[in-house]
Amino acid sequence: MNSLFLNNQVIVYIFSETVLALLTLIIFVMALKFIRYWDFNSFSNFQLKLEKEANLVMTIATFLFTLKLLLLIYFVYTIDNLSLIVPGAMCGAGVISANDYGMTLLFVKIIVIFGLLLFLVVNHYDLLGKNYPLFRFKSWVIVTAALLIFGEFYLDISYFTNIDTSVPVSCCSALFGNLEGANPLPFGLDIKMLLVLFFTLYFGAVVALYLESRLLSTLLLALFGVIAYYSVVYFFGTYVYELPTHKCPFCMLQKEYNYIGYLIWGSLFFGLYFGFIWVIMSLRSYKLERIKLASILLLTLFVAINSFYVANYYLHNGVLLENIK
Amino acid sequence: MLNNSFFYLFTLSLFKNAKRYISITLLSTVVIFLLSSVLYISGSIKYSLQKQLNLEPDFIVQKRVGTRLVPLDDAIADKIVDIYGISEVTKRVYGSYFFDKEHSAQIVGIDLLDEQASKAFQNILRKEEIKSFLSSESMIVGEGVFNYLKSHFYPKAYNFFTPGGKLKKVKIFKVLDSKSALFSANLIIMPQDLAKEIVGLKENQVTDIALNVPNVDEQSNIRSKLESLFFSARVYSKKQMQEAYENLYNYKGGLFLVLYLVVIATLALILYLRYTLANSLEKKEVAIFRALGWSIKDVITLKSLESISIVAFSFLLGTLLGYIYVFMLGSPLLKNIFLGRAYEASITLIPHIDWLTLTTIFILYATTFLSAVLIPVWRVAVTEPKEALG
Repeated sequence: MNSLFLNNQVIVYIFSETVLALLTLIIFVMALKFIRYWDFNSFSNFQLKLEKEANLVMTIATFLFTLKLLLLIYFVYTIDNLSLIVPGAMCGAGVISANDYGMTLLFVKIIVIFGLLLFLVVNHYDLLGKNYPLFRFKSWVIVTAALLIFGEFYLDISYFTNIDTSVPVSCCSALFGNLEGANPLPFGLDIKMLLVLFFTLYFGAVVALYLESRLLSTLLLALFGVIAYYSVVYFFGTYVYELPTHKCPFCMLQKEYNYIGYLIWGSLFFGLYFGFIWVIMSLRSYKLERIKLASILLLTLFVAINSFYVANYYLHNGVLLENIK
Repeated sequence: MLNNSFFYLFTLSLFKNAKRYISITLLSTVVIFLLSSVLYISGSIKYSLQKQLNLEPDFIVQKRVGTRLVPLDDAIADKIVDIYGISEVTKRVYGSYFFDKEHSAQIVGIDLLDEQASKAFQNILRKEEIKSFLSSESMIVGEGVFNYLKSHFYPKAYNFFTPGGKLKKVKIFKVLDSKSALFSANLIIMPQDLAKEIVGLKENQVTDIALNVPNVDEQSNIRSKLESLFFSARVYSKKQMQEAYENLYNYKGGLFLVLYLVVIATLALILYLRYTLANSLEKKEVAIFRALGWSIKDVITLKSLESISIVAFSFLLGTLLGYIYVFMLGSPLLKNIFLGRAYEASITLIPHIDWLTLTTIFILYATTFLSAVLIPVWRVAVTEPKEALG
């Protein structure tokens, strides 16, 4: 038997995910019924029943969102802890790359949280309307989120059953650091261009959101998400660790770095989530000022924390870690 | 809806209906108490092991023939010192001694001329004591060993049998503090030459050799150099030992947790039934709220808050009781699941709780409890006022 399955955290994690997958199944079936039979103008008993069921879907979705968010943090913390058992791993990066499922799983988890958050926002405005104006739309959102949750559950099981504790994995410096001269950055960028893009895209995204340009916001937010990830791993992260060779998205989640990674990645993801939610809702002619503001503030917080680490290092040492040519 | 008067009503109904929730709260508290006790014990043991492992050397070189551990020639230590990048090479002497078929102790020989060993020894013996410790053939024993010897009428000294069958009388010099009992309960510390005689080693032989490699990047390279030092050399690293301990306690804690899931599932079933069979009074209460103009969502919010309060209260109470039971009362009965051996009954667990343990308990319990009551709570909330009041 895979010894990982006797790890307390893994057992609790898999158990909780199973319970949540079962609850998801309930709302998935209900949401399909809504899409097929929902008719607000009908006074039949069946329609009344559907309206009552809508309340259950809402309650379960809120519960799912809260627990999925908690479980995402728990998952990251757990795989970080598993680095003690998995040979070769020094932090979560090694464990998550122990097989092909890990990174996909993490990505799907992040998308699931987005789906559920989108549902909560849509649901909120749906209930404010007198005749459930967004009902069909939110049912589609929940069906999509449910499908993603099923996929996530499959990946959860596949990921944990396929970690071989007898085969050494790579540590983060082998995965992200010493690439023997190969450029890990996308589009053939160097660090200088990466930073120029990072700040340009940030300002661009904020201005596009402010000016309420949907197309531009979507494009710039998506690009900023990609560039921000690379910038944190290959540039800003090294200032968190104060070591030019330490390039890792996971180590900053550890106690040694005051868990700052949770704030860095949290502000980035929620900034992007709110930005995209603003775009989606504005397509339905809802102009959500507070969501837009939250997005701008969170992205600014993200940029501020990262810049703070660089500035702080420079002020203390008078030099940067690497020459930016 | 979530305004002051709502919370006022919520607290009012919580206290007014306290009786209704007592059984559920008690049951949940017992379930959490049981889980938290087990996780505290395994967590505390792991913590002590981890602390101890941090003091362990980076590598240990042993000689194994077949499965047997064979004594090493101490000249090998000189060869090891010559390898660049290695520091603090220590020759170690230890072995098991069986008092009878059930009771054994771990004998450790200390070389007081060795800088590292004598530094570690300062915590056990004061400087002025060291001279008198060395002047006579004496030993320092763990609490478990001491209790055994005392109960067998050897309160001051013990007559060891050497492997040759000769008797060797050794005085008890001191008893080790029970705080470190996880490691020291069945430990006997004595000068290295005396230890060699009792465990049956020749003068130029040692059990194994420990060493440190300060630069982490050099470790794998040095490891292969050590392995090629002599035939049948076995090199163990600190990480290997960490993994082994981690797996051992994961196994014990994990097996318990898997069985415990059955308990949790039963709790979920009880909760589901309890909430489904909501009494007519509860239904009437909801009906009045609905008749007063509350939406279904408001009722669900109120009922969910009630459940969340029970979860929070029983979680706090259960984990607190677990703490008292494990660390203040010494966890009678349960401790033996983790520590089976006779001596180890005298072990005091070092109080240590980390966030991960508490989060693990909370996630397991909160997910189960709230998932089990979601649907019944919704059913009560959607009851038609006419139906409930009629």
